[in-house]
Amino acid sequence: MRIFDNPNYDFIKWRWHAVVFSLIVIGIGVAMFLTQGINLGVDFAGGANIVLKFQGEPPVAELRARPGNATIQQYGRAEERSLLIRLPQQKTEGDYAGDFVEALHKEMNPEAAAKHDLNYLGSDRLTGLLQQADPDNRGTTPAAGEYYLDLARRIIAKRSELGIFTSMDQPRSVSGVTTKVAEVLNTRTFLGQFNVLSQETVGPQVGKQLQGKALWALIASSLAMGLYIWFRFDFVFGVAAILCIIHDVLVAMAFLVLMRLEFSLNVVAALLTIVGYSINDTVVTYDRVRENKKKIKKPMSLAEHLNLAMNQTLSRTILTSGSVFLVLVALLIFGGEVIRGFSWILTVGVFSGTYSTLLIVPAVAVAWDRWNERRRPAGAAARVDAPNGIPAPKRRA
Amino acid sequence: MNRNIWWKVLLILGVLAVFTVAIIPTKSNPEPIRRGLDLKGGIHLKMRVNVEEALRLEVDQAMNTLRTQALSQNLPAPVSRRVTNTAFVAAPPAGVGTGEYERIGRDHLPAFEITRTGNDLRYTLKSTSAKDLGRDTVEQAKEAIDRRVNALGVTEPIIVPEGEDRIVIQLPGVDDPARVKDIIKTTAQLQFRMVESGPMPTPQAMFDAVPANKRAEVDILPSDRSDELGRKVGVEYFAINKNVPVSGRDLKNARVEKGQVGTPVIGFSLTPDGSPKFATLTRSNINRRLAIVLDNKVVSAPNIESEITDSGIIKGSFTQQEASDLALVLRSGSLPASLTTLEERTVGPSLGRDSIQKGFMATAIGFVLLVVAIILYYKGAGVNAVLALLLNLVILLGMMAYFNATLTLPGIAGIILTLGMAVDSNVLVFERIREEMREGKTVRASIEQGFSRAFATIIDTHLTTIISALFLFQFGTGPIKGFAVTLLIGLGASVFTAFFVSRMIFDIVYRPTERPKELSI
Repeated sequence: MRIFDNPNYDFIKWRWHAVVFSLIVIGIGVAMFLTQGINLGVDFAGGANIVLKFQGEPPVAELRARPGNATIQQYGRAEERSLLIRLPQQKTEGDYAGDFVEALHKEMNPEAAAKHDLNYLGSDRLTGLLQQADPDNRGTTPAAGEYYLDLARRIIAKRSELGIFTSMDQPRSVSGVTTKVAEVLNTRTFLGQFNVLSQETVGPQVGKQLQGKALWALIASSLAMGLYIWFRFDFVFGVAAILCIIHDVLVAMAFLVLMRLEFSLNVVAALLTIVGYSINDTVVTYDRVRENKKKIKKPMSLAEHLNLAMNQTLSRTILTSGSVFLVLVALLIFGGEVIRGFSWILTVGVFSGTYSTLLIVPAVAVAWDRWNERRRPAGAAARVDAPNGIPAPKRRA
Repeated sequence: MNRNIWWKVLLILGVLAVFTVAIIPTKSNPEPIRRGLDLKGGIHLKMRVNVEEALRLEVDQAMNTLRTQALSQNLPAPVSRRVTNTAFVAAPPAGVGTGEYERIGRDHLPAFEITRTGNDLRYTLKSTSAKDLGRDTVEQAKEAIDRRVNALGVTEPIIVPEGEDRIVIQLPGVDDPARVKDIIKTTAQLQFRMVESGPMPTPQAMFDAVPANKRAEVDILPSDRSDELGRKVGVEYFAINKNVPVSGRDLKNARVEKGQVGTPVIGFSLTPDGSPKFATLTRSNINRRLAIVLDNKVVSAPNIESEITDSGIIKGSFTQQEASDLALVLRSGSLPASLTTLEERTVGPSLGRDSIQKGFMATAIGFVLLVVAIILYYKGAGVNAVLALLLNLVILLGMMAYFNATLTLPGIAGIILTLGMAVDSNVLVFERIREEMREGKTVRASIEQGFSRAFATIIDTHLTTIISALFLFQFGTGPIKGFAVTLLIGLGASVFTAFFVSRMIFDIVYRPTERPKELSI
């Protein structure tokens, strides 16, 4: 099977269209950014993210009515009965998420004053409770501690499997829970309204520190790529590669702003990956240009060389992007809520990386080359008919 | 057949075996690849140690030393007050020169620099001493947290200082963030101090009740007021002497015991240093009230009935849980300063479980899609690429197990991405082979040329990705570092499989001696 039979596209011809198109996409992103701002995640903005899973219908209205300016949104699908609660940044450092959860727990579970909440406590406290009640008459030996710890862990593992206990029958059905243990659970514990799936707090200091680090990493890795390309190939290619990276990062960011996705640490990781990935296609093209320059004795312009190399490597470019795209789609659909933003940015980055290799990089390289030529017209290379039947791109007047 | 090839086959099978063994769970090693906090559940905390508290304490103690030394040398006590975190000013009473106090400072307070401003003396903590004290404070805090976490039975905790005053704590598998944070953050500074008077319902009333000449010597501290059944019903205040004759440092052990009415109490025993101090204190204060002060709050204020030498109990309105947590922190020692939470990331066990399931699901589906696509497109050579891909996966996971690298959720994404990119090496080679075939070369020559021509390109593409993965590693914390690690290992494995494994399979299938005519690609 083959995708292309002797492809013979004139990519250089379309370069200005592509540049304009990219500028429009980036322009829209910038405009959205200026008017609506970017959805900075907790990592950079500070504040807290709390994900709670509820026994019944999540009390969205009640949560919104609480003081503290929390934003509430559904987490995952509706039938998962989970909410993402976002608390805004505070001026002072503190345990925002922990305090919020603790207060909410007291408020929603009045029973908590007298009993232990089986949907809230961890295996450690459950062990303590069981050991103290000692329903299975194990005494106070270390072996008894082990016995109840093991039992408590199994009960909590059951809760993890279900997400939350909705009926006392569920903990009672765990293997190893004797009738006497069940009795202790019945009398000393209850099932609270929610289970904490995750909680994150980022104070103002750490948020600022992470912002700086992210920006530094992006700039430094782009520069390092450019330097590598310059060292391996050519200064022109190095500059084109850096511009290509900036292009891909900007397009991905434009998508992020447009889709109101959250800008988080994971997204920065995705951007850094794009920096490494999008340069791959470019490297493959450059490698081919270098090889052709050695092999083909006829003098050819850079534009012709790029066109030839891109056509020669076209199936590889499409195939590789296709296979990476395939796995990213799997990640996007099945990977879950936690890495959704990450998967989106990577997917967009792979698209944009392929597109920029084929259309943006040559535009930059050729423009640079011609500008250089005009500066010293005497040394300009003579133009001869293109090899392999590729028509020489029309020169602008 | 070429003997060289069989050596290569053996080598590759050996590699396969070594890495497969590494990833098979055994009884002694049920989790060959360590899961990160985001998959296992657990807590990541970044705390600031409020070092300035330790500095202030040092200054307060210096003021106390100056006063007691002056009194012991029959000099009137100077009026001292702390002016900054690291300095205090002492004013000698009218008519007394400053010289004697300067001498006391030089002899007994070597960490302080003394400057004269008018009639006053200013004692400033030297900056090197302040720095040392800061470092020691963080180190002590780290050790205390270490002991507490160990007492909680957390396996594989990570507790490391960061920068000047921060501590990063990672506790995998912990499923009760509220309790663990409480235990870590409790300063647990226990003091045994004498009650001067009280209790009174408000701090102002308590202050007013203290004779004017005694006011400088007492602190007004709150206490829970409880009824006969031990239930908390309000707050009351005591005037407590500033002097701390016995503190938590003198405790050898602490544990929960059952009190008279079945309520939990904390039994403690004292160190050989501590028991004579406690004996002196109790002997000389029989029939007075002793305040047990924990983190500037009076836990209880019992009447001293007789001399106590080496052990005692602390009563208070504790629940069973509070009592055992308090015993734990008392056993493991106090924090030298309080902690402030700068960052917390807690993943509950449910979410971790969910993430793992989804991650594996995505990997499996992505892998199957990839395999189908490659085989459809490259047929025979596609099978070759899939074998290389499988080996790549085994090497990647095996390396992670050997290096004790942590698998995180972005790390799983990294594996999927590596698989996608590993295909790239094969694609580069195969496309090259097809090109050579089109130019009319023989099967063997095309394979030969395909591999050698693609070599430089593959090295280049891998190097650029490795550079960006290194930046990721440098930048990332926790999960992202895991992503960078999987990416790096995967890239290394992909070079190996593309050049060594795929090449070898071609060599076996299309033997040079047989002059194959057709290539399934």
